[in-house]
Amino acid sequence: MNEVNKFIPTKDITLFRSCLVSAEYPGTEASTKYVFDKLGIEYVIDRNQSCCTGLGHYYDIFDELSTTALAARNFAHAIKNDHKQYVPMCATCYAILKNAALTLNTKDDVREEINESFRENGLEDLVYHKDDIDPVNNITHVVDILYALRDQLPKYKKRDLSGIKIATHHGCHYCKVHYNDTQGGVRDPEIVDQICEAMGLETIGWYDHKKLTCGCGFRQRYANRELSLETSKDKLESLYNEDADLLLVICPNCHLQFDRYEKVIQDETKHEKYMPVLNIAQFVALYMGADPYKTIGIQTHTVNVEPLLDKLGIEYEGVDDLHE
Amino acid sequence: MNKKIGVFLCHCGGNISDKIDLDKVEEELSSNPDVVAIKHHDNLCSLEGGKIIKDQILRNDLDSVVISACSKVTHGETFQNYIQPLNPYLFEMPNVREQCSWVTEDSDKATHKAISLVNSAIESVKYNEPLSKIPTQVKNKVLVVGAGISGITTANALAKQGMEVTLIEKRSAVGGAMVQVGKVFSPEKLTEDCAACLLNPVINEMVHNKNIILLTNTVLEKSSRRNGNFDVLLRKKPMYIDPEKCTSCGRCTQACPSIAPDEWNEGLITRKAIHKPFPQAVPSTYTLDDEDCIKCGACLKVCPTDAINLDAIDEVISLTVGSVVIATGHQRFDTSKRPEYGHERYPDVISQMELARIIGVNGPTNGQLKRPSNGETPRRVVMIQCVGSRDQLPGGNKYCSKVCCMVALKNANLIRTHYPDTEVIICYTDIRTVGVYEKYYKYVQDNDIEFIRGRPGEIAQEDDHMVVRIEDTISGIREEIPTDLVVLSAALEASQGTIDTANTLNVAMTEDNFIKEKHPKMMPVTTDIEGIFVCGTAQGPKDITDSIIQANAAASKISELVNGGLEVDPYIAVINVKQCVLCGECINNCIYQALTKSKHSIHVDPISCTGCGDCILTCPQEAISIQGQSDDKLIANIEGILKNKQEDETVIIAFLDDIGNVSANNMGINRVDCPESVRIIHVPFINRVKYEHVHYALTHGASGVFLGEYPDNSKHEQIRENVQLMKQHLERDGIDPDRLLIHSVFIPYFRGLAKQFTDFDEELKIKDN
Repeated sequence: MNEVNKFIPTKDITLFRSCLVSAEYPGTEASTKYVFDKLGIEYVIDRNQSCCTGLGHYYDIFDELSTTALAARNFAHAIKNDHKQYVPMCATCYAILKNAALTLNTKDDVREEINESFRENGLEDLVYHKDDIDPVNNITHVVDILYALRDQLPKYKKRDLSGIKIATHHGCHYCKVHYNDTQGGVRDPEIVDQICEAMGLETIGWYDHKKLTCGCGFRQRYANRELSLETSKDKLESLYNEDADLLLVICPNCHLQFDRYEKVIQDETKHEKYMPVLNIAQFVALYMGADPYKTIGIQTHTVNVEPLLDKLGIEYEGVDDLHE
Repeated sequence: MNKKIGVFLCHCGGNISDKIDLDKVEEELSSNPDVVAIKHHDNLCSLEGGKIIKDQILRNDLDSVVISACSKVTHGETFQNYIQPLNPYLFEMPNVREQCSWVTEDSDKATHKAISLVNSAIESVKYNEPLSKIPTQVKNKVLVVGAGISGITTANALAKQGMEVTLIEKRSAVGGAMVQVGKVFSPEKLTEDCAACLLNPVINEMVHNKNIILLTNTVLEKSSRRNGNFDVLLRKKPMYIDPEKCTSCGRCTQACPSIAPDEWNEGLITRKAIHKPFPQAVPSTYTLDDEDCIKCGACLKVCPTDAINLDAIDEVISLTVGSVVIATGHQRFDTSKRPEYGHERYPDVISQMELARIIGVNGPTNGQLKRPSNGETPRRVVMIQCVGSRDQLPGGNKYCSKVCCMVALKNANLIRTHYPDTEVIICYTDIRTVGVYEKYYKYVQDNDIEFIRGRPGEIAQEDDHMVVRIEDTISGIREEIPTDLVVLSAALEASQGTIDTANTLNVAMTEDNFIKEKHPKMMPVTTDIEGIFVCGTAQGPKDITDSIIQANAAASKISELVNGGLEVDPYIAVINVKQCVLCGECINNCIYQALTKSKHSIHVDPISCTGCGDCILTCPQEAISIQGQSDDKLIANIEGILKNKQEDETVIIAFLDDIGNVSANNMGINRVDCPESVRIIHVPFINRVKYEHVHYALTHGASGVFLGEYPDNSKHEQIRENVQLMKQHLERDGIDPDRLLIHSVFIPYFRGLAKQFTDFDEELKIKDN
């Protein structure tokens, strides 16, 4: 494995919110905050933040220039706010923002065009200066921080999560877009496996199709629905063969694909088995004792997580009023 | 300094005299009291010219000579002979042809410049000392590291020329990769040949040659340079089994309880801790692997000749050799870095070398093609090319491993020939079978082997067989190919032994950790260090034939050193013993490893030293100079150039290195105009120019100093930093730093050089006014 040399922040962080996290799995954000608070990581949420455009970008609704301009706007707010360490929870935000910073730093004409439109509209305070944001050292995924601080996690252990078969899925947009900045391996991504290992938990490691995409492929899910679901099916079937109890992800796109579409696929394949999906931040929060509903937000998941909690002997209270 | 100098002005059949008024030059020079004789001739390089020069030297008892003519490259050697009885180093040749008459349009300006160039030579020749070429002797002892096909071949070639060779091998038997592969492809014939049958005669020759000492289980541990030789320390593993006593009866192996993977069979089967590496191993003695041995003593009890000594200790051997050949070979890419191919997980995923062992007659299955999982003959075999090669992602090698296409074709054809019911599919990126190898490719295609262009994404197991998932990049179709056996063509990488040896010898490596050659195109097998050579896959992926070619080339280069009766130019570093404090700074700085320290002095190896003068800058005691090229001589050069400078004249002192000087000559040959302000001083290396020279020039009338550097040298960064430092010094001393300019020079870009000169000249003229 190649050593990756990038700065991992523990303060001055803007926790970059994700539309999919907010709309689909808000427990991921609550869990991230829960874990960061425990670890003493200093961060803010920026109310001025806008979308990274990821979904629109990959649907070809947003062009590259608009995406880059919005990133420049977001960077300006983070810098003004004195929290220029950008930490997204979503792999797509991570890849898009890094790309945008790289474009802004290296393509003078693009930067000028964007700055010019800021000036024309009286938004001089948003003007981006070359190298304002370093794409390698100022933009890190939440999983990078958990990985860097993994040895501290056992200090906050509240629950025993052993005795289940854990599988990991590593988002393409974390592993494969800026692969020189990917920690824990590109060919055989193991960053989540190693975080688990630090918590004293074994994962199933390599499995057939481990490197395969979740299948969502953004517009593919709608435009090429069959191909998209076929891919997800390949992956899920391989995990059933491995008898996995839980799938851990690092990206809300993957989370959505596996969690929301498992039923759609099952209807066709007539499989009886269901596999809960958790974001690694949710899983670490569970390990640290967070409330399954109030913090981890399992009531927003389609595949019930409660059977897994039962298997782990974790008690939970409260009514899941979203299911039923 | 009163020296009697003779000046000879060559007309060069009009090449010089048509442009330059040589009578005016003579008139100007006649007022110089040091010049006691001035002679013209139409062609000084002719025999008649030679007579005139010799005659004047004897008649006027000249101390030294200036020959105003063409470039030293053209006729330097001619005049070196013509000035006898003077010492051949007591002359200078101002280049008034290529660098004056041919590049200056205006006749008056050309004449003025010629006088300046001749003056420079007159002042500088005063500092010439009588020197002689240095005869050198390289020890005829050679260390060859690595006894694969390359090392053995080079050892044989050297030994046959009478050299004493020590051939060392880390493993317990010689032969390297070639003894393992079983069959080899033949470049001309459309067949596969028996590797052992080709290799054995070469090994036998080595064993029987009295000039070769073979040491197996031996590694190079230390090396230091002394007087152009290498003092090396070798470490030989303990000899647990006395080869004199061992009768190869094999009882020890039967008795040994300790089992380890058999590396010669790629770990497909096991062997005992005490064993014979393989039946045809050379040396043929039994060997004991101390990492696997549990020292139980079972072997001692059964050995009929008392040949085993479990308390043996390792041996350190010291040796002094004149040359070293690195023939440390390669290792194969670690396929566990490609978990998607499951080499570690699935028994029926194997490497090409494992396949070679399986189909090798002396292999674990006696040559029967069998699936490792169940021993059955595979119905289909899928080969995957470029595993770890041609890969831009982290954890891969960017280069092509060169041999894998041919290796796959060879093994595929062997399978098809012997097992006609077994299908073979090769998944490739591109098939690279250059030259006559293309014929073999066609021949194999005709043997019904299927090719799919694409790199499989994953291999999985399904029931009793494997599945290879691939996109055929020609048809764009995704396929799942069921197969019984998958064979990975793993990349060739620099071996650990190569990296260790490079570090021990302090030889540079390429970015891929292979041994770096002095020039990748023009200096094959030669390394940066004079006396150290490389051959075979230690230098990069290549096949057996190419390895043998390199091995012979390395031997031939060593022969040049040893038998050439080498005489080297005396322009080498000399150390002033009184000033030197033995700090060693110069030794660390020298990229040629030309300097070594003994108890009382620093020694310069004349063969290794190129006279670049880079060490001069590093010496805190200013104890180093280059013989025949002193700092004062350079100052005298400048002084001479500026002697006839007129009040409002712009003069540029241009220091050019070897490449720059040739480029400037090309300006002349191609009649490209060059500003008459440019006066070229040829230096061996740009770092030879010190701040004192730049400062002297700019404070004694020169308007600018131009440095022309060929950038492809290992000190390039430092040279550029140095120039920045000199610019700071100029600023400190109240001189405009823009009057110093450094520019890259290349031989074919003489027009670019002329343009640089012109731009600089114009810029300086503006500054001067």
